Amino acid sequence: MKQQRTLTYFISSLILLLFCVSVHAQNDSTVKDSIIIKEKYGLRVGGDIGKLIRSFADDDYSGFEVMADYRLKKRLYIAGEIGFEEKNTITDYLDITSKGSYIKGGIDYNMYQNWLNMDNMIYTGFRIGASTFSQNLNSFTVYTTNQYWEPQFTSNDLKEFNGLTALWVELILGMKVELFNNLFLGLNVQLKIMASETEPDNFGNVYVPGFNKTFDSSGIGVGYGYTMSYRIPLYKKDK
Amino acid sequence: MFLIIGNYSCERDDICPESTPTTPSLIIDVFDFNSQEDKKNIFNLVIAGVDNEDILPGYSFVSSNNLVLPLKTDVNNTQYILVKEATIDDNGTPDDSTDDIIIGNYDTVSINYSRTNIFVSRACGYKTIYENVTLTVVQDGDNWILSSTPLNPNQSVEDETTAHFNIFH
Repeated sequence: MKQQRTLTYFISSLILLLFCVSVHAQNDSTVKDSIIIKEKYGLRVGGDIGKLIRSFADDDYSGFEVMADYRLKKRLYIAGEIGFEEKNTITDYLDITSKGSYIKGGIDYNMYQNWLNMDNMIYTGFRIGASTFSQNLNSFTVYTTNQYWEPQFTSNDLKEFNGLTALWVELILGMKVELFNNLFLGLNVQLKIMASETEPDNFGNVYVPGFNKTFDSSGIGVGYGYTMSYRIPLYKKDK
Repeated sequence: MFLIIGNYSCERDDICPESTPTTPSLIIDVFDFNSQEDKKNIFNLVIAGVDNEDILPGYSFVSSNNLVLPLKTDVNNTQYILVKEATIDDNGTPDDSTDDIIIGNYDTVSINYSRTNIFVSRACGYKTIYENVTLTVVQDGDNWILSSTPLNPNQSVEDETTAHFNIFH
């Protein structure tokens, strides 16, 4: 939890910093009126470095994600992600390993009016996400509010739940900033709504790869991405 | 959107809410043997589990006609000692409670069952429910519990909404 908060703080600081940089850059730009500005179109591919860092920092997590987007129109991008995640969920009463891969696809819409030849994005978008995964119940201890008899029953028999699937929709808000020529740093937050999931027999999906942690009280999930990507420029178009 | 996310990360979703039914206790209603429709209090009742050093919380020299007994989740049998009209014999040393003994009419009830573990939720994990529950009063020649009866055939203990057994005295 503390680690996550540190990370959230780090990301927020970074957003602020990026805003400062872009504002600063705007003030410095001086271009003559007569220049025709062309915008680059191409395929942008990258990976989620946040997930990589977390894989090293967090013993209970490993995962990576590859992302791509392709510019269709001036403001419209088709975008998608493919990833793999393994997560241990350990509470006082449960010890579960969730493991699987996911694919997400959708549209990003750039809301940011770029200044001159800048090529940044503040975007909103949606995704359809799907995951196939497995969950291993490594151990559990019976929950009871009355502790007159102790200890409670603990099972250490491994139970495997394979072939689970989940489908969800996702709203995204994010930004992509061109750090150097064609190299982008991106941040985004995701709000997910579960549409359907396999309910394992006498068990629950506590973590769905790509959807992240599930909540008892609702079918809502949250996530964030911290991406580095490179644009392969294909052609240019007038602004 | 940031607000929603902030809200969710603060939500105490990892704590099992008290309103969620988890592992149930055995509930026993106490009736009058001579007038079996009427509830009848047991006075100065003390309840303790067999092999448990502590008195069951809430049942230390009380008057009650409703007993809530937690069952063990790791074995298929739980036994309780029910002491009626209990008094403390302080062994001549009122200041020293370590040699006190509880005197009264001791009855032992033995509860047998089979267990099933049911998934509740992420926060609450698994609960145990009990099936084919039987309650027997161990005969000691001086029983104050005169009879007992389950409320249903093949009595199970799956929740705490109603009593599971009646005893008569």
